[in-house]
Amino acid sequence: MTIINRTTDRGPAPGDGHPLPWLVPAIAILAAFYAVPVLDVLRLAFSDASLLAPASRYSTDAIGGVLADPALPVVLGTTLVFTLANVAALQLAGLCIALVIARGERRGLRGMAAFRTLVLAAWVVPGIANGLVWQMLFDEAPYGTLNSLLGYVGLGPVAWLSDPQMAMASAVIANLWQGTAFSMIVFYAARRAIDPTLYEVAELDAATPWQMFRYITLPLMRRLIAVNTVLVTVQTLNTFDSILALTGGGPGRATEVLALFTFNTVFYNLDLAGGSVLAVLLFAIGMGCALLVHYVIGRERPAA
Amino acid sequence: MTVARWGDVATYAVLAVLGAFFALPFLWLISLAVRTPAEVYLGASRFIPQAPTLDNFRLILSDPAFLIYLWNGLKLSASGGLVAVALAIPAAYAASRLNFRGKQAILVGILAVQMISPLVILLPLYRWMVALGLLNSDLAVIAVYGALGMPLAVWLLKVTFDGVPIELEEAAAIDGASRFTTLWRITLPLARPGIASAFILAMVMNWSQFLIPFILLERDGDWPISVAIFNFAGATNASTTQVLAAACIIAVLPAVMVFVALQRMIVSALMAGAVKG
Repeated sequence: MTIINRTTDRGPAPGDGHPLPWLVPAIAILAAFYAVPVLDVLRLAFSDASLLAPASRYSTDAIGGVLADPALPVVLGTTLVFTLANVAALQLAGLCIALVIARGERRGLRGMAAFRTLVLAAWVVPGIANGLVWQMLFDEAPYGTLNSLLGYVGLGPVAWLSDPQMAMASAVIANLWQGTAFSMIVFYAARRAIDPTLYEVAELDAATPWQMFRYITLPLMRRLIAVNTVLVTVQTLNTFDSILALTGGGPGRATEVLALFTFNTVFYNLDLAGGSVLAVLLFAIGMGCALLVHYVIGRERPAA
Repeated sequence: MTVARWGDVATYAVLAVLGAFFALPFLWLISLAVRTPAEVYLGASRFIPQAPTLDNFRLILSDPAFLIYLWNGLKLSASGGLVAVALAIPAAYAASRLNFRGKQAILVGILAVQMISPLVILLPLYRWMVALGLLNSDLAVIAVYGALGMPLAVWLLKVTFDGVPIELEEAAAIDGASRFTTLWRITLPLARPGIASAFILAMVMNWSQFLIPFILLERDGDWPISVAIFNFAGATNASTTQVLAAACIIAVLPAVMVFVALQRMIVSALMAGAVKG
């Protein structure tokens, strides 16, 4: 009798049980704050809504208007350059730092933790503050940081923010300073997960450091590099607060990326319908990247 | 010198160059913040000011509005982080301990929504908040912070729960504990470092958040520091650069300090997520 009761009254065995009650909060949030808003943005893109007035009728006018806007190709070009430059720079810097720190730690060199901390500290600086700080560094007056430093070595003042091409480079530098930590963490984790005996064997075979990197490190990190590329692309695509504080998108539209353009369209021009079209575009590009990461993970791990 | 020693030299050379790049903005910011206006115009030659002063910090911190911005920032980020973790715990637990159909789809979905720019979802959310009369309310910002922070928290917590030995839960179950009791009394206390990491990360991200409070809070007195410094920067000019630098330090310092103090714990949580995710 007691034995029977104990078996029926005991707690659920691990692995069974109804998942739904546990998942309700997360699914409700996903629906209310992600799925439905995305659908609503889609609806707004077909409307004539402004930020102040609701939609009164539905048409493709807003879409036509956005696509006919001569600013759009400029903005997309800017976005492409900004994103590609950052994805390359962030990952190269992140990989370089991760491998250098990993090597320093294996050799018992001092200062590795301090350096990692420095890179991480830049990561948690708010985007707006990042823009403001780099604005001070790029100050084009003779007493501006970089220009006065360049003055010491006899190099002329650089038009960091007022020259359109230089402004793009400056925006990439500012973003590189802040964003490198993410790739560093991912690559550092990936490097540490590699079995050290592989390197020991390679050493016995008198492999050069470059050969070890080329034939051990790189192939084993390939999957994470692929995933990280996509994550960093999306992060960069969605970045705009640091650019807003650094250049405001200028000079002209030289640094006005798609996210900033969307923000300006909605919250300065109050054009909600047009902004929604741009937001759908931003969403579509981001989701395309998300599908890509899914595909990459799926292909590289056929067993899972 | 051996090859390995030359390698060490190269390691330090790379670190020196990168270290200069990463340290310069911080050092320059500090240098500017302790200068008098006259020394700001002297550029790099006064990297170490001759007459360092704390007046700029005094000016900022004596402004009661600034203390309110700091408090608003702390209040919104901490509440948002709590909401994110509270929402994530049940889902992460289910993902770690239960087998059910569609689990992988839900996990991938949670990962995928992180790819959505907050800007995209903010457009309708702004209108809903207006309709609900929640514009200018902290509640609206905290709810959005919770929603934005939840996906990462689910992933970090799932990895944490995976690391809690299931035998402990089985032992509790044999003693008659319900699954909820087991989670509350056994799993969560053991997962404390992971939960803390998820909370701190969510909080630091909220502290940096500009767009959400900028749009959902229209009144100056409700703003967190991230919005306030943007507004403040618009009101400064070349002659008050040193004050803006001090304001930036005050805005940046809390997040940097918390993160640096707890970085070992947070980075190991993130690394576990990176390798297993």
